Amino acid sequence: MSLCTLRLGEERKQWRKDHPFGFWARPVKNAQGVLDLKTWECGIPGKEKTIWEGGLYKMTMIFPDEYPTKPPKCKFTPPLFHPNVYPSGTVCLSILNEDEGWKPAITVKAIALGVQDLLDNPNPDSPAQAEAYNLFKRDRIEYEKRVKRTVRDNAAS
Amino acid sequence: MDSDDDFISNMSSEDDVMQDDTDNDDLSAADEEFDVFDDEPDDNPAVTSMKSDKKKGVSFDVSFRVYRPIDVQNQQDEMIDEVNMILEMKKEDAAIMLRHFRWNKERLIEDYMDNPTKVLEAAGLGPSSSRPPELEVIPGFMCDICCEDEDGLLSFAMKCGHRYCADCYRRYLTQKIREEGEAARIQCPTDGCQRIMDSRSLDILLTSDLNERYRELLNRTFVEDKDILKWCPAPDCENAVECGIKKKDLDKVVPTVDCACGHRFCFGCSLNDHQPAPCELVKKWLKKCADDSETANWISANTKECPKCNSTIEKNGGCNHMTCRKCKHEFCWMCMGLWSEHGTAWYNCNRFEEKSGSEARDAQAKSRVSLERYLHYYNRYANHEQSARLDKDMYQKTEKKMVQLQTASGMSWIEVQYLNMASQALQTCRQTLKWTYAFAFYLARNNLTEIFEDNQKDLEMAVEALSEMFEKPITELADAKLKVDMMDKTAYCKKRRVILLDDTADNLANGRWTFSIDLKGLTAGAGSTGPRR
Repeated sequence: MSLCTLRLGEERKQWRKDHPFGFWARPVKNAQGVLDLKTWECGIPGKEKTIWEGGLYKMTMIFPDEYPTKPPKCKFTPPLFHPNVYPSGTVCLSILNEDEGWKPAITVKAIALGVQDLLDNPNPDSPAQAEAYNLFKRDRIEYEKRVKRTVRDNAAS
Repeated sequence: MDSDDDFISNMSSEDDVMQDDTDNDDLSAADEEFDVFDDEPDDNPAVTSMKSDKKKGVSFDVSFRVYRPIDVQNQQDEMIDEVNMILEMKKEDAAIMLRHFRWNKERLIEDYMDNPTKVLEAAGLGPSSSRPPELEVIPGFMCDICCEDEDGLLSFAMKCGHRYCADCYRRYLTQKIREEGEAARIQCPTDGCQRIMDSRSLDILLTSDLNERYRELLNRTFVEDKDILKWCPAPDCENAVECGIKKKDLDKVVPTVDCACGHRFCFGCSLNDHQPAPCELVKKWLKKCADDSETANWISANTKECPKCNSTIEKNGGCNHMTCRKCKHEFCWMCMGLWSEHGTAWYNCNRFEEKSGSEARDAQAKSRVSLERYLHYYNRYANHEQSARLDKDMYQKTEKKMVQLQTASGMSWIEVQYLNMASQALQTCRQTLKWTYAFAFYLARNNLTEIFEDNQKDLEMAVEALSEMFEKPITELADAKLKVDMMDKTAYCKKRRVILLDDTADNLANGRWTFSIDLKGLTAGAGSTGPRR
């Protein structure tokens, strides 16, 4: 088995043994019903006592063959209204950038928690979409209104 | 700093003198004497003393030293040893600390004496257990990266204690060193741990070829971190040059250095030799040329400016009644005067004497003059640049010529070397001349400028004369009289170049030039910054 799938298998085992409250994550099944370890779907809940609370945001993690030497690509489906999320849904986060903060020892759990933390702590120094970034910079009230709408659209059932 | 290179450059200026003295002597004697001097530096004390006198005389030479890769390595090792002795820390830790402090040894020692814990933490050498790192087999160990847990798995941890299997460590380091070109700041693979990989740990983990690459990258950061060191920008040259010229002095001196590989470049901005023009001037000039030259030519030929707002206007048809798109000013294209004063004499302007018209034409003439002034200097600059480009073939052309001449005239190899001398003199003189035009463009007019222009004119004429001789057919070149003339001219060109550069540099150092631009500018950062990968 390749290093990539070996590690992902273990990641899955660890996740099932223990994962943070409110989160879910699992590899997807392809058309033939075979488990594809290199693509995971997960749900990131908004943190309590933040404007994101109450929402559960669906994200896809796509692991490259070079994983864990290189980081997975994380993408919100559908794309999320957030200053550091590209219009395509891809998350812009330093620990997910191979030239920046990625370290091979970062786990799926650490990524999930990192993305959750990013929701309420956007990084204005690396904007990824104009809409959320501009509102965040100029009109905080309208920004929060939009976030609340996002929460409603993604309400955890 | 006395280096071999200084020595060589002094020798060459001395050659000028030597050759000058022998100009009227017997031809072959002059030739021989010349070659002897060129090949072996003399130990004659009289010559040595003359050399040091000469050194003081030439104000455009700066002192510098060329470092081969091995010298760069040695210099690092020396500093590491020193810190290792003074602060009594391990060599690999000393190296990390020095890199953290950008090789400012004094500051490192001072700060460390003040607060060792804080300094160690900041450099990524936080609290540690005392065991030296090594590859180990730990029973029941599972690697958190590859999730391997087989018996006998070799694992490694730095002093921070984060343990991974040796393979994962190697993969991680290969990625960092090979793919990302990282060396001095590779951190522990653990999320959030800022401990830096030290060279001892790397020695344990890396294969020899990767280790070599790592050393190479470390050397780079050493050169890039130190302000007095710079890489030679020539392709495939691995040398670094040390020069003490500070960035803030670049308006006073043009620090041209000669790498051992033969490449002449400016230490201030890493561009090719641009004496006598200072770096900031060169930067402004190049920018202006990139922006302006072609456009300016066209504008000069095809447009006029609105007499009110100076917008550039191209008349692409229609009558003489112009309405400026921008400011709505109405004027006559022929006389540039107000349209309202034209009365009913439309489409047939005969109002040349009117005041408004002549004023507008004066203003226009002024702006045209400034454009033409620029083009005057630009065309001369570009001409020399063009010739310099052709110089690429020059060497081969010269070689060929020398061979042809040997067969045609029966002269020996050594007897035709004067052609090579002439070719080299042509190239350096053209390089200098090129930049004198950029220099002159920004110069305010005064008596000094007159002297400068005289020097420039003199050199230019000599260079053109030499160039003409050089281009003569082989049959004429075989003539002994022409050979003497060419040697004379070569010597004269070299000497005039030295005089021009010396005079310009001297005035620059003493702040006697008046420029139309501010040379203090943003000289910083003109050179290559950031890591070369």
